[in-house]
Amino acid sequence: MTIAAASGISLFIPQTYDIVWSLIILVIIAVFFYKFFLPKFQAIFDERAAKIEGGMAKAEKAQQEAETAKKKYEDQLSEARVAASKIRDDARAEASHIISDARSRAETDATQITANAQRSIESQQQQALVSLRGEVGALATALAGKILGSKLESSDVQKSMIDTMIEQLNDGKKER
Amino acid sequence: MAGFYSAQTLVAASNKPDYPTIQDFLPPEILFQGTPFAINRIILVRIIATVVLLLVLGITASRAKLVPGRWQSAVEWVLDFVKNSIVYEVMGELRGKRYVPMITTVFMTIAVFNLCGEISGLNIAATATITMPLVFAIWTFGQYWGAAIREKGLGTYLKEELIPEGVPAPVLILVAPMNLLEILIIRPLSLTIRLFANMMAGHIVLALCLATTQFFLFEVANKAMVPLGGLMFVAGFAMTLFEMFIACLQAFIFAILSTVYINLSYPEND
Repeated sequence: MTIAAASGISLFIPQTYDIVWSLIILVIIAVFFYKFFLPKFQAIFDERAAKIEGGMAKAEKAQQEAETAKKKYEDQLSEARVAASKIRDDARAEASHIISDARSRAETDATQITANAQRSIESQQQQALVSLRGEVGALATALAGKILGSKLESSDVQKSMIDTMIEQLNDGKKER
Repeated sequence: MAGFYSAQTLVAASNKPDYPTIQDFLPPEILFQGTPFAINRIILVRIIATVVLLLVLGITASRAKLVPGRWQSAVEWVLDFVKNSIVYEVMGELRGKRYVPMITTVFMTIAVFNLCGEISGLNIAATATITMPLVFAIWTFGQYWGAAIREKGLGTYLKEELIPEGVPAPVLILVAPMNLLEILIIRPLSLTIRLFANMMAGHIVLALCLATTQFFLFEVANKAMVPLGGLMFVAGFAMTLFEMFIACLQAFIFAILSTVYINLSYPEND
């Protein structure tokens, strides 16, 4: 260790050329930092901040839009549900209507058919009765004429006699 | 280390280690001798460091993208650190904004210049003469006087500094000259000497470790000294790491003290 006391002080005395170079270098570096380096990075920082803020705003807008769309779709969905249930109810009502219609029509038809049948049976019965009466009358008259051996002259007598006989026959039928 | 020291080692007689001397900080002029533009070893280191700093940061800035890569992120981290952790932390954003470029310049330049002491081939901090720290300190000096005159006016500033409120008159005889000395000389000089002495001491300790390593491992005939040489190498290794830390720490201290001095020129409540 030969740090001589005599020359030690010269460490603390700035040399002219050292001052010159220190200043030149500091000025160059300072100009570089002030005029180029820091403004450039500041611009980058500002741009980045703007981008991030813009991105955030955009994201928020997108979210709002998504929520609006979601609400719209949900509304549409619930509307569709309501419509579907309405249609189902309508269909059900219509179906029951159709069934009851068909049933009443069938009942009416059945009644009518029954009535028609009844009527036709009655008329046939009547016809049969009438024709039977005529034939039986004629048969009976002829038979009676043959039996009595005499001709019943008056057709009125004839008729009343036959009627009486048939009624008696009827009465006899009823009594049995 | 090797390049610089081996040259001297060859010349030196090998009966004692090639200890560092203060001549390391007063190297001979090697270019433009005798003119105001003379260049010695330390100034050469300073010029190289400046060129590298400007090139690296210039390329970084001109290629700077919105989405940063790794290197750009690292540079941005440093800028952010100086802005938020030094300037805004001390002064607040409102006052601090105008001083961010200055403190950034001071911090980054001093850090790079200091780190030259740990770079093989350069082996001495570019701030290892009194002048470079002094120039930075004078810049700070100018800034805090400028801020004081702008914010308070010279009269009010001197009155507040020299005649603090509530100090009894007899004590003022002591306080006033002390405070004047403080704002005129002690602040810039303490900044200068703290940085310079740290760089000087760092260089001496580091060179001592490596010179003894070289001496005990290779130049001493007695091989029993080899373990000592090994120990000194480990010490040199540790000191290199420590000096890297000191380089950054001193840059930080210089930057934060400059900020504090400038902030002291502002009125108390703003």
